[in-house]
Amino acid sequence: MTNDVILKVQDLQTHFFTRTGVVKAVDGISFELRRGETLGIVGESGSGKSMTAWSILGMVPHPGRTIGGSIEYLGENLLEKSAGEMRDIRGSGICMVMQDPLTSLNPVFTIGDQLMETLRLEYNEPRRSLRQRAIRLLANVRIPAPEDRLINYPHQMSGGMRQRVVGAISISREPNLLIADEPTTSLDATIQLQYLRLLKDIQEQTGAAIIFITHDFGIVARMCDRVAVMYAGRIVEQSDVEDMFDNPGHPYTEALLKSVPDLDTDVDTLPSIEGQPPSLDALPVGCSFEPRCPYAWERCQEYPPEFMLAPGHSSRCWRAE
Amino acid sequence: MVTTATPNAPATTAAVEPLVRLDGIRRHFPVYRGNLLRRHTGTVKAVDGISIAIPPGQTYSLVGESGCGKTTTSRMVLMADAPTEGDIYFDSRPMRQFTGAERRNFRASVQAVFQDPWSSLNPRMRVDQIIAEPLITHQKLSRSEVRSQVQELLNVVGLHPFHAERYPHEFSGGQRQRIAIARALSTRPKLIVLDEPVSALDVSIRAQILNLLKELQSTYELSYLLIAHNLATVRYMSHIVGVMYLGKIVEESPPIELFTNPQHPYTKALISASLPAHPRQQREEIVLSGEVPSPLDPPSGCTFHPRCPFVMERCAGDVPILKEYTPKHFTSCHLYEDGQTAG
Repeated sequence: MTNDVILKVQDLQTHFFTRTGVVKAVDGISFELRRGETLGIVGESGSGKSMTAWSILGMVPHPGRTIGGSIEYLGENLLEKSAGEMRDIRGSGICMVMQDPLTSLNPVFTIGDQLMETLRLEYNEPRRSLRQRAIRLLANVRIPAPEDRLINYPHQMSGGMRQRVVGAISISREPNLLIADEPTTSLDATIQLQYLRLLKDIQEQTGAAIIFITHDFGIVARMCDRVAVMYAGRIVEQSDVEDMFDNPGHPYTEALLKSVPDLDTDVDTLPSIEGQPPSLDALPVGCSFEPRCPYAWERCQEYPPEFMLAPGHSSRCWRAE
Repeated sequence: MVTTATPNAPATTAAVEPLVRLDGIRRHFPVYRGNLLRRHTGTVKAVDGISIAIPPGQTYSLVGESGCGKTTTSRMVLMADAPTEGDIYFDSRPMRQFTGAERRNFRASVQAVFQDPWSSLNPRMRVDQIIAEPLITHQKLSRSEVRSQVQELLNVVGLHPFHAERYPHEFSGGQRQRIAIARALSTRPKLIVLDEPVSALDVSIRAQILNLLKELQSTYELSYLLIAHNLATVRYMSHIVGVMYLGKIVEESPPIELFTNPQHPYTKALISASLPAHPRQQREEIVLSGEVPSPLDPPSGCTFHPRCPFVMERCAGDVPILKEYTPKHFTSCHLYEDGQTAG
């Protein structure tokens, strides 16, 4: 069973050392991911969810550094890898599906060039057979008439098509882990559904695990097996998806779930969360959600440890003590 | 063009005169090819004959995929673009016939809030300058009057008076959107066009902004023309929803009726594609084949027929007409003609 674990993140800390102080973007998070499993990391901007992804890929931008913890990928600690080894793991083992299909493709190269550039890393073959592989990949992500599309530039394709090209590039080297950073925000609902289905499809074909970095609980409900909710650099709640929706343990999760309008019910006023997400260079000493929390009490001045609510369901809130 | 429509038709029913009425609006963009020998090679029918009415103090929402003409429609309502055909009435006056004074009044009465508060606020202007700019353009006010109005507006949108002296980069997304709303409110508008007002914001902030917009609507009797992707947001905010496809309204109804009893297959597909609120919630997923066809060469008959799961023979030939099949619920689909019901 433990052999199934392809990614094990323990007490990961990624901090940014700025002139004005240390920003703890990721501050001691732990989670596990099994083969074929889909984990949703939910959080707002600045919660550290994207930095978690960049840390796993070993691409934390300056002045950030991963200063603690471990990231075990197939039993090996990625934090001990050299830059060259990491470059190889990215793409062939762990792959990022970028958020924005417009900016993640190079506008001055054709789709074919960009696909074959990636394929050339994996397969030492003549151009003609790489071209065949590229066509097959485009067909796999259901792009009609793929052989005609290879000579297109990104601007000649629609948003949905471009997203699929990005998808095709990310699976071209058959990775074990896909990290999808808000993969669908810029898409129409119908195209988004197609894309989510495409990712499910890829997952069924390849058995890859997926990490969804998102702020949308709808995506979590539709796609994920497990979910981790991040707030101010920490995972405040982690659980199976259904359990999270049925019994949210952390006040932040609870409030967030309630504040999203629902298509199937009518409400006069949405319960909203007051205040703003905290600024990471001036976090409260205790629980970081305390200033916005309706249940806050004296205990919250101290940072809560992880409490288990049920098997596999943890929450960092003193109410669970 | 003769305007046969009578905006002041006998008010036999006690219906309120709409604030904005679009009557058979078309916006066609000619397409040319070649530089030296420019030839007219086609027409993009971005908006192709829509008639909608925005009642005072209510929200009319337009939903549909990108390229369906929502934004072109909103640009015409903002008078940033003019229809190729048809008339838009504001307070029962056709915009085409506006005098200079009417036009100035219109500019103050209609404002917009856009999706991305990072690019819609000038980073080199202080918040008070941003909010005061439309005030100064439209009214003759002394400096102290401007200042007190800015303070009041900041207060109305839930910001502090000291925020006036800061620059946009010092604010979070939600706060920036509040600034954009304050600026839109400054001229005391009757209508605000909201183009995806919350989709660029953090989830925990969205409800705040939506509630603020609702509150402002009831306080100031504002009308909204809302353009949004997220159907749940549309349901929460709207009084009437129009579903657009390739430049046409294919279904229009109050939101509760629309979302509980959608009629047009396209509306059904849109609803089925929206994300569930709970993992156990199963939607019948209608996956539409392909993407929205090019408006340069729209399909014959019902423009939706190549993607429609319920397509019939006549759909490729006859253009369906928007009809009221149940009270206040309009659909343009052959399935509902002759008393038929959709499967």
